[in-house]
Amino acid sequence: MKTRTWIILIAAFTLTALAASAWILMSKKSSGVAQVLADGELVRTIDLASVKEAYTFEVTTEKGTNVILVEPGRICVKEADCKDHTCVKMGWLQDQATPIVCLPHKLVIRIVDADGPDAVVQ
Amino acid sequence: MKGFSLKRLTLDAVLSAVALIIFVLESRIPNLAPVPGMKLGLANIVTVWSMFALGPLDTLAVLLIRIILGSVFAGSVTSFFFSLAGGMLCYLVQLFLRKILNPKQIFVAGILGAVAHNIGQMIVALIAFQSVSVLVYLPFLLVSAVLTGALTGLTAQFLLPLLEKACHAMKKDRRE
Repeated sequence: MKTRTWIILIAAFTLTALAASAWILMSKKSSGVAQVLADGELVRTIDLASVKEAYTFEVTTEKGTNVILVEPGRICVKEADCKDHTCVKMGWLQDQATPIVCLPHKLVIRIVDADGPDAVVQ
Repeated sequence: MKGFSLKRLTLDAVLSAVALIIFVLESRIPNLAPVPGMKLGLANIVTVWSMFALGPLDTLAVLLIRIILGSVFAGSVTSFFFSLAGGMLCYLVQLFLRKILNPKQIFVAGILGAVAHNIGQMIVALIAFQSVSVLVYLPFLLVSAVLTGALTGLTAQFLLPLLEKACHAMKKDRRE
């Protein structure tokens, strides 16, 4: 194959991925119910709309501990004893588009519709 | 191992050390974007270079040594499986590309290798998290893979003629 063909194919692929990324960022839906999953299991469900006062709780798995902060309408990871701290840097989770993921501890925090279908694959 | 001369063994060992150092140093760089699994993947330079300069067997050895020792020095049990799945898928893609790319197209192996690495990681993430919610990060990871893969692929491509002497010595050595 010609170099130009490769570049066009890769450019097309990149544009598709970019469009998908943009679509994910655009399709934000706010509030709802936050689910905390550790190791694929639902450990806690929080109705963010009904939170009146901020509080924290810990989720400990065999891999480590994450301190999760809940405020009215939003949720984030405050502290984690993992190495990369990506989950802490991801900040507040306010929409359905991008869940907070902690790879080292296999922890996911996501927002779902209050009455929507559960997206957990078993 | 039979067929592995001392020269070849030494070159592979040096390459493994280089890849490992790059991998460990890179793990000290803070994440540039808050996307889980996103990284520069600079050790890919060694994989691409080795695949086109030395061949599949040496590349597999260097890659596996780097993944195993990299997880020991700068990772965890979880990161080992992410690295292994990504690394193996990347290897298979580059193994195929080795036959069809000319010397001016080697950057393509860097790009598609990085893309394959992210897809491999995503498969492990889907199994580990038992949840499709991690899948939304795939498009972001793929865009970053094209950019970082182009960087590492081009680096390997420009390195190849510069290090041709070393490859020449290797090939001569293998014929003997």
